Amino acid sequence: MRHRKTRWAMWAAYLLITVTALAALAGMGFLDLARLTKGLSNTRMFISDLFPPDLHSLPTLTKAMFETLQIAYLGTLLGFVLALPVSVLATRTIFGTLITAPLRLILVIIRTIPSLLWALIFVVAFGLGPLAGTCAIAFYTLGYLGKLFYETFEGVDQEVLEAVRSVGCNRLQLMRFALLPEAANQILSQLLFIFEYNVRASTILGFVGAGGIGFYMLGYVQLLQYQNLMTALLVTLGVVLLIDQASAAIRRLVLPPAPDVKA
Amino acid sequence: MTTNLIADTVPPPAIAATGVRFSYTGAEFALKDVSLLVEPGVICMLLGPSGSGKSTFLKTVKGILKPQQGCISVLGFELSRGLNRQLRRELGCRIAYIPQHLGLVKNLTVMENALMGALGRMGVVASLLKAFSQPDVIEAARILERLGISHKAEEKVYRLSGGERQRVAIARALMQRPKLVLADEFVSQLDPVTTREIMAIVTETAKEGVTFLITSHEVELVAAYGDRAVFFRNGQKVYEGLAREVNLDAATRLMGKS
Repeated sequence: MRHRKTRWAMWAAYLLITVTALAALAGMGFLDLARLTKGLSNTRMFISDLFPPDLHSLPTLTKAMFETLQIAYLGTLLGFVLALPVSVLATRTIFGTLITAPLRLILVIIRTIPSLLWALIFVVAFGLGPLAGTCAIAFYTLGYLGKLFYETFEGVDQEVLEAVRSVGCNRLQLMRFALLPEAANQILSQLLFIFEYNVRASTILGFVGAGGIGFYMLGYVQLLQYQNLMTALLVTLGVVLLIDQASAAIRRLVLPPAPDVKA
Repeated sequence: MTTNLIADTVPPPAIAATGVRFSYTGAEFALKDVSLLVEPGVICMLLGPSGSGKSTFLKTVKGILKPQQGCISVLGFELSRGLNRQLRRELGCRIAYIPQHLGLVKNLTVMENALMGALGRMGVVASLLKAFSQPDVIEAARILERLGISHKAEEKVYRLSGGERQRVAIARALMQRPKLVLADEFVSQLDPVTTREIMAIVTETAKEGVTFLITSHEVELVAAYGDRAVFFRNGQKVYEGLAREVNLDAATRLMGKS
């Protein structure tokens, strides 16, 4: 009887997903064949305009990409340094609701604002340039890493916390000797992930004048210099691939697959 | 540096529990009027089938869970009374707790895990910098040597076998210089040879005046290693006596599904 109910519920869920997806497709114009055909031909034209890439802009773009990398690196680092203590204080298994709830609310508010909007806010505050971009990335990183970290800390085996707490240590010692070491691998993994993400996110911060290669990308689009845009995209692609490879290498080096057989 | 508020000379009962009732849900009680007296320096084996309340009782003795009714005195101090911070801390140090899966920090080394037992008597800043005192390091090295695991002192715990991890958990407990060790299903997942070795260490430590309360569901362990035997069933104490007087058949029947 219960099994039949579950099956009905599953079919109802499938139907609901299909209907809502179709409605959304229609609403977005995906079912408008004439529009899609025209779009495809426009895309073909745009792609052909991108080639061959104009390598004259390469020195300028390399310099701008370096600035983007600096924004991502420093922003990630600052965000990480802020996120670590905030996330510990937001961990419900260590601190009470009076401390965790307001911090979690602050982290939600920070996350609600996209990095591009943070960049705009900091451009207004500090003026055009990489300082605004770095602050934007730092805030965005704080919002995301803060949440990821406190969820990781809350996932630390309760028994380990109980055992370490039971030696008579306080919360700071608990953090140092149980929480951080137990979560270290995941923290490093999340840090690398957010750095990779921030490198990509930093490339468009220049759209609002917050420094980096994005400023040039937007300029090339506005001036219809698609071959220069292609060069910028290739530089970005190369750097992102390099960062991905480097971060994979760090993971392999620092995070060996640990056999975790409970005694 | 903590002062020695718990007297070393006058030995009060290690555990004196009276009418302890505890419920996780508020409805059904996991412990129903449990009273138990454990004298210092004995190995008390607490047996019972799964869900009989053994682990819950251990946690109430450690102070991790607070009973809704009844009172528990540990090493002469009543837990429900408002103990001052220093005393609470020293009491925490003197009661070592080894949970079922040992609660070791797997990303730290054997030595670091052992030294964790000294955290309760260390200054906070020094401990955060992992600046353990020379006497503590020497003591930890000596304990690891005694437990036969000093050759793996710098090994991360996740690389160790079950028996080796058990030794690390004992080392951490001994580093607390405990008067009472509460061990939950301590040797239940070990092979017979390792069980013998580990229990030999327990027996040796008990001779130095340390009390052990060990939960288990293996009745064979009682006569071999215990001084006292206590059986729990459905959250109640159903038998208490000398371990050597426990009848194996009767004990096996008691261990039947609750």
